[in-house]
Order: sequence, then C-alpha cells, then structure tokens
Amino acid sequence: MIFRDDPTAEESRHGYFMKQALLMGEKAIELNETPVGCVLVYDDKIVGLGMNDTNRSMNGTKHAEFIAIAQMLQSYPRSALQSTDLYVTVEPCVMCASALKQYRIRSVYFGAANDRFGGTGGVLSLHSDSSIDPKYPVYGGLFEKEAIMLLRRFYIQENEKAPNPRPKKNRELNTRFDDDQEPEW
Amino acid sequence: MDIQKAIRDLHPLGGQVVPIRTVQETRPVEEFADAFVAEVNVKAASKVIKALDSAFPKDPSLPLSHLRRFAKREMLPQPLREAIEAQNAPAAPGQTLFVLLSPPLPDVEKLKAILAPFAPAPAPATPNATATDGAADESSVQTIHLQPVKIPLCPPFNTTQAETWTKTLWPVVFNPAAPRSFVAPPPQTLARAQESIEPHAGYFLSLAHLVAQEAEQSGLGRGVGAVIVDPAITSESQQWDEAVLAVAGDARYSRPEGGAPSQAQQHPDMAPNPASKTYNADLEGGPELHALMRAVELVARWRRENDREDPAQECDTLSPLESHFLYRHHPDPVPLSPSLKRKHENPTESDIVDESDLHVPLPGPPSVDHSVPAPATPRIRTRAQGGYLCTDLDVYLSHEPCLCCSMGLLLSRFRAVIFPRGGRLESGGLASEPVVGPVAEEDPAEAGSKDERGYYGLHWRKELNWRALGFEFVEDVDVETHTPVFHA
Repeated sequence: MIFRDDPTAEESRHGYFMKQALLMGEKAIELNETPVGCVLVYDDKIVGLGMNDTNRSMNGTKHAEFIAIAQMLQSYPRSALQSTDLYVTVEPCVMCASALKQYRIRSVYFGAANDRFGGTGGVLSLHSDSSIDPKYPVYGGLFEKEAIMLLRRFYIQENEKAPNPRPKKNRELNTRFDDDQEPEW
Repeated sequence: MDIQKAIRDLHPLGGQVVPIRTVQETRPVEEFADAFVAEVNVKAASKVIKALDSAFPKDPSLPLSHLRRFAKREMLPQPLREAIEAQNAPAAPGQTLFVLLSPPLPDVEKLKAILAPFAPAPAPATPNATATDGAADESSVQTIHLQPVKIPLCPPFNTTQAETWTKTLWPVVFNPAAPRSFVAPPPQTLARAQESIEPHAGYFLSLAHLVAQEAEQSGLGRGVGAVIVDPAITSESQQWDEAVLAVAGDARYSRPEGGAPSQAQQHPDMAPNPASKTYNADLEGGPELHALMRAVELVARWRRENDREDPAQECDTLSPLESHFLYRHHPDPVPLSPSLKRKHENPTESDIVDESDLHVPLPGPPSVDHSVPAPATPRIRTRAQGGYLCTDLDVYLSHEPCLCCSMGLLLSRFRAVIFPRGGRLESGGLASEPVVGPVAEEDPAEAGSKDERGYYGLHWRKELNWRALGFEFVEDVDVETHTPVFHA
C-alpha cells in the first residue's frame, strides 16, 4: 500500500524504484555492459526494465531507456508514457533525454549526474528547452553513490571490446567520495 | 520495383557541400569572465555543490570543466590569496576551502544567502586578528565574503598556459584529451573529408530520397531516408553505389504497441500514412524507428549475424531497398574483385562469410545475377576486421536528424553526416545558425516567430566526448521551403 500523502512513504517509494534500477545495473555489470539500469513506473507498477545493451547488440545507441520503453510498449500504448516516470541510475544522455521528450515521459528521477553526455542538465538541458514536445521535470541525486560505485566497478575492468583496450591491472577501486574529485566516466 | 534499374536511373542532386559551422564558431565566447570566490567550511563541500547546482542552472554552452571547483588556501594564486586575506583573517588551517562561483553569475545577495549555512567555522581569536570589518563580529553571525576574480572561459592549450592561469587567476586543469580542436574541426581534416564527400554526395542524397519515398509509399513511415557509406571503399568502375553499406527508411508507423495493430496495419493500402498529415506524438512511434537509428541498427544486425558463432535469427522485416543494400554482397569465396577495394587494407579470405550464416528475412535478398562481376567481399567490416559501431563511416540523410538521432550518430562514431539544406527541420539537432541568404522581404514579426527553433550544432560541441563532421548540401535549384513539423 502506498501512502502518497506521507512524505516518508513517498521517499521510500522513490527509493524502492531506484533500487530496482540499481539491480538492473548490477545485472548489466554481470553481462559486461556499462552498468546503467532503469525502470519505468506506470500506475505504481514497474512496466519496463532496461539496462545498457550496447556490447551485446553491437549498437552504440542501445541504452537502457530504449530497452525499457520497448518492453513497456509490448503491453501498453505509447500514450501511457505521458503518465509514466523513469528511474535511471545515471542521468539520461542527450540522445535519451531527447527520446524521453519525444515519448512525453511524465518525469525522470536519476542517480548520478553525467557531465560528459547528460541531456538533462549535465551537458544540455533538453528537458527544459522549448521544442515541439512538452518539457518534463527531472530530479537527480537519488542513490547517487550507489550508481557511481557501479560505474567505478565497471570502468576498473578492461574493455576487451574496444579497438585499443587500455591496461588497467594496477588500478584500485576507489571507494571514497571526495568533493574535489574528477568523475571517472 | 526493379531495384537495380531504380538505382541506375537515379539523378544526382546538384549542389554544393557546405560545412555546418560549430556553435563555438557561431557563438564565440569572450575569453575571460568575472566570477567570485567564497570561503566555505571544508566539511560542507559536497553540500555547497548540491546547494549551488540546485539553485542556479548551468549554461550548457559554457562548460567550465577546466576550472577547479574548489581550491585549498595554499592552491590559490598569490594575488587572489592576498586579496582574500586582506578582507578576512585566515581561518584555522585546513578547515576551509574556496569555492569558485562561475558565470552565469546569480544575484549576489541570493548567492550569499545560499552559502551562509556553509560559512567557515569561527576562527579562534588570535592576537594578530584585526577587525577588518566593523560590522562583522566573528563570534556571532558568519558571513560569506564574495571575492571577485577573473576566470578563463576556454580550456588551456597546454600545460604552460594552465600553469600561468593557475598562478595568476584560478587553479586550472589541463586535459590533453580536450585540445583546442573543440572549437571546430581541424581545417585539414574538414577539407579532406569534404573532398572525399563531394564527388558522390549528390548520388547518395538522391538515394536517401529514394529510400524516403519507399518508406512513405509503404505506409510504414514518414518520407525520411538514411544511407550509410564507407568512404574508404573506392571503386575503379566508378559505380557510386559500391560504397553504400546500408540504407534505411523511417518506419514509425510499423510497430504494434500495447497489443493494438500498428498505424500501418490500421490503414492498409494507404500511402502516405494518414498519421503523417499532422504531428500527433502518440502516433509517432519513437526515435528508434527513425531512418538514422534504423540504419545504424542494420549495420549492427549484420555484424550480429556474421560475427557470432551462433547467429541469432533476426526477424525485423526489411524493405526491398534495405534488404538489397544490406545483403547484396556475393559470398562466393572467389578472389577479391579488383573493382572493389578499401584504401589501406585488404580483407583476407577468411573474413568472407558462408552463405549459411545469413539469415535473410522477408523479403528475401535479390537474386544474384552471376553474369555481373559481383563484389566478393562483404562491405561491412566484421569485428575481426576492425569494424566497430559506425567508426569511419559517413551517413547521408534526406532530412536534418532530430536531437535524439543526432546524438545517436555521435554515439555510433560516424565520421561525417550530410543532409540537404532543404531538409532542415525545426526539431533538428545539427544546424547551428539560421540560413542567411537572399530572402524576399518578410514581415519581421513573422520572421522572428519562424526562428523559434534551437540551433544545437550537436555534431561538433566541445562539451561532448564524441564529434562528427557536419555538412549541408545546398541544392542548386530552390527546393520548396515549407517545413513540416516532426522529428526526423
């Protein structure tokens, strides 16, 4: 039972969905995909799950958001996205931020900001730019550290799929959260 | 449709290939700007960032990642440190940090109010601490002092410049991976690409239009087409289409959603699809069904079918043109056809795939005419051959791609993107400025309202890790200028 009027219940509700997104990120790491996970929530139910799928598909555009949307659209019409919220461990990239706008997502909750590719504040702010589709609200920082740790665990590995893999044998997993630190992705 | 004939009959578009300027070129920024530095409690550093970021939006066209956000007192440039210490007595060593407040600068009072909770803890009274500010009683209210400072808006060229700025202005980070080419592509690179694109651009764009037409007439999508070309494939026989790896049309009406029939199924035998008359978001499918995204997916699909030991059956249906270009290679292990080769490389015979590896969807591949010397090697490089995403490839589009597809092409690592200027769209992601030219006198009010679109110039932005060369094709003849509203 969800008590929407109770802020702590509301907080734990967001927390619950973000944890499910983080679990998708865990799954991605097991499959050697960049650990970004997400869930789509419609009517308090998870209707789509996604994780990054670029290595398996050999397609650099197969981000978690697209996978989750494809899953949702098997059972729901596109119009349902207007009443759907996205929980994603890392801020949507420019591509996904635009896609979410075209799909008219209701709102987006993310964990870690993405100042390399982010499309909802990191690099561009497509969610709040004027366009032929409505703007959508974005809330960041939910389980931020957990999302960053997933990425760090991934990027400490070597990417044997890359054309020129970089040796990373001597790297140690950084578990600190200093504020003056450069992000790793 | 007789595909071979349709391709042979194509007339190239006539026009000029023109580089799309970057937003750094169309909107140059001043080199230096005013900023503030404030001293805050070292323990509150993360809260300071959160408070600032949530209160004041960043200017996305002004990434300042070369500037350190915080500096310790001993890292401050000498002049800045002296100026600060003339205002405030130093707090206990190591207890404070200095935060940079960079443009766009918000209201000073608002800034002070936001930072007030993170003011340094009161310094213990020291004998040489002099009352510099009559109003400030150190034991009571903590105030934030905003020290004006100049900052460089562009990243340093080299370590020397970084060190100079660090010593005189504010601590700066030099990132060798982000050289000054972030402003615009190096001129030689741009010129070389343009030279290689010019000879056949008219043909590839004409083919993109043919693919667009096919998509529209099938009722499966809007009239948008994409053509992926490997510029390294040169043909002695001067067959321009030898270098085409894959083509794809828009298919936004092809997907059944939520168990309901697709827009195309709901309007069988109707072309163009009635949904294309207006922009109703609910009927627009999604960007993964746009021409560019589908073309990228076809290249990936070909690799999945050919790189794997146990290729999975792929079942998305392809149009006749799409199937023709994706599967037209002739898989006989005969010696390489001398008419088709890549610059700087020679694929080995072991890279040639067996026909049994191909799972050709409906409609089937065009039957191979053995009387014509067919190219003997697959055009798309497998992973074993060094093929990775769409690295080093060019994409020709009938329209300016939407923001989503524009970023998709960067994530796919294309070398270059080319579209006709007549295919510009309000929702496009590549143009960086309005078209200026001989325009008939217009109602200024109308002209203003017409230019509401954003000019993102996404192909070459300094903030993004990946960049592509962007070109517009300016046709010799005036094309109709009415621009429909939709995402291509």
